[in-house]
Amino acid sequence: MTTKVKHYHELTSIKRERVLPVAGDVLVRRMQKVSPTDVIVVASMAPEFVLIDVAQGLRVSPVKADELLQRRSGEELVKGDIIAGPVGVFKKVIRAPQSGRVKIAGEGKVLYEIESPVFELQAGMEGTVTNIIPERGAIIETRGALVQGVWGNGKITYGIIQSVSSDLLQELVPEQLNIGFRGTIITAGFLRNPNVLEVAGNIPIKGMVLGSMSSNLIPQAKMADYPIMVIDGFGRKPLNKAAERVLTANKDKNVALNAQQYDPFLGNYPEVIISQTTKSNPDLPPETDTLKAGKTVIIINGLLSSRIGKVEGIVPQKRILPSGISTRVASVNLGGDEMVEIPLTNLEVIEV
Amino acid sequence: MDITNLAAKSALSVDIGTTITRSLFFDVVSGRYRLIGVGTAPTTAGAPKFDVTEGIWRSLEELQYFTGRKLVSEKEGVIIPSTQDNQGADIMVATMSAGNPISVVTVGLLDNVSLRNARRLAQTSYTKIIAEISLNDRRTATDRINLLTTKRPDLIIITGGTDNGATQSLLSILESIGLASFLLEESQRPHILFTGNEILQDEVKAGLEKISKLHISPNLQPVLGITNFRPAQKELNEIYCDVRRKQSGGLREVLSWTDGYFTSTASALGRVIRFLSEKYEPEKGVLGVDIGSDSTIMAAAFHGEETLRVYPNSGVGGGAAGVLEKSSLEEIKRWLPIKVSDNLVRDYIYNKSTYPDSIPTEQDHLEIELAIAKQALRMAALDLIPSLEKQIDSMGILMPPVEPIIGAGRILTDAPNRYQSLSVLLDGLQPTGVTTLALDQNGLLPGLGALAEINPLMTVQVIESNTFLNLGTIIAPIGIARPGTPVLRIRLYREDGRLLTRDIKFGTLAILPVEMGEKVSLHLRPLHRFDIGMGGPGKAGKVNAVGGALGIIIDARGRPLQFYPDEEKNIERNEIWRKTYQKYT
Repeated sequence: MTTKVKHYHELTSIKRERVLPVAGDVLVRRMQKVSPTDVIVVASMAPEFVLIDVAQGLRVSPVKADELLQRRSGEELVKGDIIAGPVGVFKKVIRAPQSGRVKIAGEGKVLYEIESPVFELQAGMEGTVTNIIPERGAIIETRGALVQGVWGNGKITYGIIQSVSSDLLQELVPEQLNIGFRGTIITAGFLRNPNVLEVAGNIPIKGMVLGSMSSNLIPQAKMADYPIMVIDGFGRKPLNKAAERVLTANKDKNVALNAQQYDPFLGNYPEVIISQTTKSNPDLPPETDTLKAGKTVIIINGLLSSRIGKVEGIVPQKRILPSGISTRVASVNLGGDEMVEIPLTNLEVIEV
Repeated sequence: MDITNLAAKSALSVDIGTTITRSLFFDVVSGRYRLIGVGTAPTTAGAPKFDVTEGIWRSLEELQYFTGRKLVSEKEGVIIPSTQDNQGADIMVATMSAGNPISVVTVGLLDNVSLRNARRLAQTSYTKIIAEISLNDRRTATDRINLLTTKRPDLIIITGGTDNGATQSLLSILESIGLASFLLEESQRPHILFTGNEILQDEVKAGLEKISKLHISPNLQPVLGITNFRPAQKELNEIYCDVRRKQSGGLREVLSWTDGYFTSTASALGRVIRFLSEKYEPEKGVLGVDIGSDSTIMAAAFHGEETLRVYPNSGVGGGAAGVLEKSSLEEIKRWLPIKVSDNLVRDYIYNKSTYPDSIPTEQDHLEIELAIAKQALRMAALDLIPSLEKQIDSMGILMPPVEPIIGAGRILTDAPNRYQSLSVLLDGLQPTGVTTLALDQNGLLPGLGALAEINPLMTVQVIESNTFLNLGTIIAPIGIARPGTPVLRIRLYREDGRLLTRDIKFGTLAILPVEMGEKVSLHLRPLHRFDIGMGGPGKAGKVNAVGGALGIIIDARGRPLQFYPDEEKNIERNEIWRKTYQKYT
């Protein structure tokens, strides 16, 4: 059986496509080194247009209005420029209400694009631009540590990562937060207290990486000014050991936190990337793998959710679960003598 | 009918679902079409593969293993048509529901007329309405242009105006749409489906054809009070297929095997339900429901007139969080027969949305999933009922008589006990009168719907081959009484002459033990002017019924089901109902 692969690596190759959905100007070149806050492409994500009914404004027919047009398609306009006219005794004219560029002019109307703020897409990670996607963005590659999550509030940042407590399995409470965390990305086990989000915003911290979070905090977490990423899911779960190991090993280092929204269909996962200078050149990790004996797996549903173990074997017969469902299972060694049987559908291979 | 002379004797059907790709193989056995085998594999439409062919290939490999028939070759792909040595299939069809819904902007003249029709049309496919434009919204032409260029929808549905009615208002909106379309990059220009005032068709063509992917369909509402959705629905399905063709890697290769026979899963489901309504019991409708991972589909048909609804982001997997967001935690929890904390239910729902393929290991978790399914179905039913051709109450909240009701989706087919599948359908849909609940346990409905276009006989014969599991005959009297009041007297005659008499009390659920497949005759006498669909309140009647997996179920719990404000009382009552089911399974 093939499963998706979850990534918690201390060192791996990382390749990410950073593109905009609309055409823009790519500002980087191939083989350029970038830092997370470098802008790689700019574009007007929501261009604004103004449609002016010249004929109605001048109280003439559309044909006459076209004769009175002073601007043609493609021409630049400055606020106050005459677009059409003059006409009549009072020399009536139509002026541009804002600066911009004429897109279409004719049939008594003028449509022009006004200057609107451009969106700057940041690299979001340290690395090297290995390919340019014309007008859209670039592909960036790096080597380093990687921790993926399952929920993000759509924000992105770069900063030093610090753990709030040496025990990343503990619940995060407001009393643990202090001014010492100002400007840092904090890591913690579980969050259910809404006051933490407010206190963290007041310090302010730069970002938050959680093992798990109570789902009733989702609306508030979405509203937070700083990025929040959840690694293992919702409800009280211990932070998985693989992620804990990577985060602990990299404390006090600069990390790129991309808490993008989770979309498994498109393959978008929130993630923490910690670029490292190294001479080793690991392969890009696979995105799918076969579930079989010897594979390290994470449990994704049930009472043992977020526990990590090693597959000892796939049980040939179906088993009946406490829920009554009959399904194929794998024998998983959770460490020591702790052996459990877990449905194949509730396991994901992890690359560590 | 003998099918010896028909050219297409064997068929392959592939359904590319959100989580599972299912392949079905049909062939002739003893002169009639039969389902021969089913193969399934995880869908590979999304990341990291972005290519549907791998999932199809693996499901076909499983199908080959189970049927022993070679269906694919490394060199040529799927073997079409079949060879002399019984390899491959004569025809192949494909259906698809995988992928994010297509984004739609609806455009109409008035909110409560044309926009409502546009919404209804959009609901017949996997769409997400991201904005609406009408004369009521007070947007200027500039606002409309900016809205469309910012939202960049996949599709704009334009409705409005009866044929030969007013044109000027719609023309002003059309101009904004044309300009917005012109301003977008060519690759991002939307499909435009015009289904408004027919007199405007030429002007629409002249204005929009060169700058958009224009589709014109007859007016949804040619005359006030009369609607005609089918042509536009068909066009919308074509658009859906076109969008998917462009978005989904490998689909072009699949279409080369299917010779272009490709449709949305929902459309195929609608077609087979329509087909069944033409074929059987014309005085009643037929209802098909599919509770999927991401979406729920409802398809009803009366006299061949189909009403199809797709509810994206409302399912039991990826769509579980959508059910919570569209209803409430209380509405989901009211279906539970166990006490579970709010946090546990909410967390479970969000985790399930995160990992839609995972399965519940614990009893509590399974109960939460069944509760999500009931709520998804209840919401869908309450939305569907008012638009059905037949209404039996002024409020439009009671399900009109249908026969049968066919349920599909893994939450139903993979439930550990049949009573769980039945209770999801019964509680979610709350049928009235006398009907049969059946289960599409092999996921045949989309495939049979797609095949119905090419070989209707295959669809008929496969359905007649007892391919659906009969869960039970349902008798649901309608009326109001005090709990405990007898509302229905039943005399059940078995073929061997034995008689069973029961008085059914209001507020209860009762099961008559009838063996699977056993034929019985039921004499039903409603009391206290209760209505069992035999011609009016208090009217008695006789029906012949066949025992299903749970025998014959009398649901005298009232319609619609009422809930206590107190959670504990609901749990207690749900537990009584669960025990009633369990006694007979």
